Amino acid sequence: MSKKVITREEWEKKLNDVKIRKEDMNKLVMNFLVTEGYVDAAEKFRMESGTEPDIDLATITDRMAVKKAVQCGNVEDAIEKVNDLNPEILDTNPQLFFHLQQQRLIELIRNGKVEEALEFAQEELAPRGEENQSFLEELERTVALLAFEDVSNCPVGDLLDISQRLKTASEVNAAILTSQSHEKDPKLPSLLKMLLWAQNQLDEKAAYPRINDLATATLEDPAI
Amino acid sequence: MPTTTASAVCTTVGNNILLRLTSGERDVKLKALRELKNQIIGNRTKKLSFLKLGAVPAVAGILSDAVSAVDVADNDENDRIVKDIIVQSAAVLGSFACGFEAGVRAVLDAGADILIQRGCLVEEMPLLKSYMEVVDAGARSLKMIYQSKMAPKYDFLQEENMEFLLSLLNNESENVSGLGASIISHSCKTSLEQKLLFDAGVLKRLTSLLGGSLIQRDASLESIATIFKNNPEVVSQFVGPDTGRTLSCIIEIVKDRFARTRLLASLCLIVIRNASPCYLQDVGIKTKLINNLLELLDDPGRVGDEASFAFSSLIAEKEDMQKLAFEVNGVDKLYNHLQKGSLHPRRFEGILLALADMCSKLECCRSRCLSLQVLKLVVDALAHDSSDVRSAACMCLRSVSRSIKFIQNLSAGSFMNETIVIPLVRLLDDTSTAVQVAALGAISNIVVDFTTRRSTFIRLGGVKLLVQLSKSMDSTIRLNALRALRNLIFLAEDKCKEEIFMELTASLLASLICDPEPSVQEQALALVRNLVDGRINSVEYIFAEDGIILDAVGRQLRIASKAEIEIQGMYVLGNVATGKESHKEAVMDQLLLRAENKAQSCIIKFLQSNDSRLRTAAVWAVLNLTCSSSPGSSGRLVKLHDAGIVSHVKNMVNDPCLDVKLRVKTALEQFNSFDDSLILCIFSPAASNNKASTSCLQFLTVRAVGELSHVVDPSSKEEESIANYFRFSMKKNKKKKSTRTVKFCFDVPADSL
Repeated sequence: MSKKVITREEWEKKLNDVKIRKEDMNKLVMNFLVTEGYVDAAEKFRMESGTEPDIDLATITDRMAVKKAVQCGNVEDAIEKVNDLNPEILDTNPQLFFHLQQQRLIELIRNGKVEEALEFAQEELAPRGEENQSFLEELERTVALLAFEDVSNCPVGDLLDISQRLKTASEVNAAILTSQSHEKDPKLPSLLKMLLWAQNQLDEKAAYPRINDLATATLEDPAI
Repeated sequence: MPTTTASAVCTTVGNNILLRLTSGERDVKLKALRELKNQIIGNRTKKLSFLKLGAVPAVAGILSDAVSAVDVADNDENDRIVKDIIVQSAAVLGSFACGFEAGVRAVLDAGADILIQRGCLVEEMPLLKSYMEVVDAGARSLKMIYQSKMAPKYDFLQEENMEFLLSLLNNESENVSGLGASIISHSCKTSLEQKLLFDAGVLKRLTSLLGGSLIQRDASLESIATIFKNNPEVVSQFVGPDTGRTLSCIIEIVKDRFARTRLLASLCLIVIRNASPCYLQDVGIKTKLINNLLELLDDPGRVGDEASFAFSSLIAEKEDMQKLAFEVNGVDKLYNHLQKGSLHPRRFEGILLALADMCSKLECCRSRCLSLQVLKLVVDALAHDSSDVRSAACMCLRSVSRSIKFIQNLSAGSFMNETIVIPLVRLLDDTSTAVQVAALGAISNIVVDFTTRRSTFIRLGGVKLLVQLSKSMDSTIRLNALRALRNLIFLAEDKCKEEIFMELTASLLASLICDPEPSVQEQALALVRNLVDGRINSVEYIFAEDGIILDAVGRQLRIASKAEIEIQGMYVLGNVATGKESHKEAVMDQLLLRAENKAQSCIIKFLQSNDSRLRTAAVWAVLNLTCSSSPGSSGRLVKLHDAGIVSHVKNMVNDPCLDVKLRVKTALEQFNSFDDSLILCIFSPAASNNKASTSCLQFLTVRAVGELSHVVDPSSKEEESIANYFRFSMKKNKKKKSTRTVKFCFDVPADSL
């Protein structure tokens, strides 16, 4: 199948003809900073570019405090902060609540507080497991940690990873954003995904300068 | 046992917190409140245990004290703590009320809703920035309370309440306007309230909220839907330049990025559509809604669960929508979700009901279901833990069983028969009334045919169960049990009828015919109609136990006012009238027996009815009573004539309904056939003075002349004219040459003929 070949010159010319507004790009950047929670950066960017964030920066601070608490393993503190921010969130989000409690259990186990962990599992988590089958399964996985001597190498060892904390933190972050009527994902990744998809579509029809490295976004000449 | 230790710990902690709540020091109180709040949020078990320890009244008391201690003008540290106490106690009470019925009850009992309203949402507060926290906390908590089924009824009719509501809606704060919308969504029930709200102009504000934040949008959509639901009047007033804007706004939102918003927008449009025939009727919007909802089924959470219910409300009873949905592979898509297995009960129920609606009228949908082997999953669902799922499975079965393919397919192989019949029979004994009724509905359809399914059902003791249920205290169950029995008996074999009748007994049938519920009477009569239909021996049933059933039928016909009952009753009599002479005479007795205060037979009222079905049924009965092959028919014709019934039938010769017209034509032919024979009989001029022949002539004269009935003195000159008349009539009737022979056997001496 003969594909149309587009040279770099032609391509760059076409690109130049497309007009993008600076304001739109600024908004994208601000959206990214705000959603990810980079308060100081967002504040500075607002001052320097004059772009208004679409949510109150003060709320970002609160949200970041929660996220940070989870990432450091201070789950109880995080829960208190969420409840101060908006008591509805955990009351109406059983899955999130369960995951936070689960994280608490994991932290207790990590710190070697076995008895306390068992008590906690019994008192706080078992009732949740009774209410919901999938919670029960996850609970069983978590409690299984106590059964192994060498926790880092056991089948459920991944629960002790930092990644688990990050996962929970991300979940809380998303819930808070949703409660504030904000989208939980920034726009930027979607744009990049769209770019990759469009390139894949175009690949079937033409050879053209591609962006292969998203980080640098340099155009690489088409193979002739 | 670990559990006792755990709850003991809990109680200790709990008691500790409660103790500190009673402290005189505000700091300690505040800290205890926060701890309590953090203990109970998200934790149903804790809510329950704290409830038992009496936390709710304690916190309500604290709130009350704090509210009285607030000095709006003041702004010092002391006041800050008081404000914090209000915020925290409101949050605690709100959390108790969140999705937890016992909690809502306790909160309402403690009068907390009024407390919060007065404490957090009075006029001055929303104006002060420092009080925003308090206002928000109060609004959130009240919203929780109003979302519960047990929420106090908001009295929209009181002017001050309306004003308060409007002030809430107009407030800038998301939580406060959300509370206003929530109150509407959950408290507005009657059409009067809907009208009041509409007239108060809330729609304007709600429309503007549609452009607000996500929360405001969602809340507003729910409220708009509530105001329009089932209220064509309000919808019809929804005209003017604003309409188009609101509607197109909502239509746009159907494409929103958030699934829940899309669902709420769709529901809103469906409500408007269902309430009014003039909005949202074009194919474009119909297809959009259908596709949207089918897509929402993919959502794994509650939105996906509810999407199927929304889909049902969109297509129920609407063939055009069902067709559209079928064309976009609706059945397949629903089936795919069904296949996923281990569905949440609500989702399972919703999808089954959606399939039931899809298959309610269209054979293509039922056919597709059968090809996809949906029935296997549906039959499994008949044994589900949730009664709602069992009920929905029955309804699905009922719809699908209307298919021709179902009736054909399942005659092959008793395996399929039993897998369906057995669980259904079991459900007749279900703990839930709704499930029993739904099962009866499915059984009614399944036993209507003549395959082995019917005999399987009987073999499994189904008849006994149905008869049992026909004696239920619940009229809906009686009704549906009778319907199933009626279908079971339809065109059944003699042996089958006998079995059923033995179980039912004549006295039960008679009492059901006189049941307090008219709809039950109707089904009982329909059952008897099917019972006596067919062979002549079937008619005998109605005479069992001294004819109590027939008496009951007659009685009902005389006093009934509902057309459906009268129709069934007439068909019963009509069927009985196809029997032997004694049967026909019994029917005559019933018909001619007059009700009190009634000058005429009930059948005359039926013949004059506006309902063509009733007129048809009545004429059938007359036809059967006067059919020429029966010896007693002419005698009956005389009696019917005397009662004025015959003339009524004759007047119906140009009835607008074709069915009636044809029957009347046949009836008139039958009447005239008697006339024919009579004319043949007496045409030869009466010559003799023979007394027998004289009286015979008199008698025949009266009969033949019909309307002219007067007794003619054969010795008078009139005889000549009568004879001429008959000659004339004979000529007229010559066209309809009757081939029937004389049925009357008089002692007529040979010479007078």
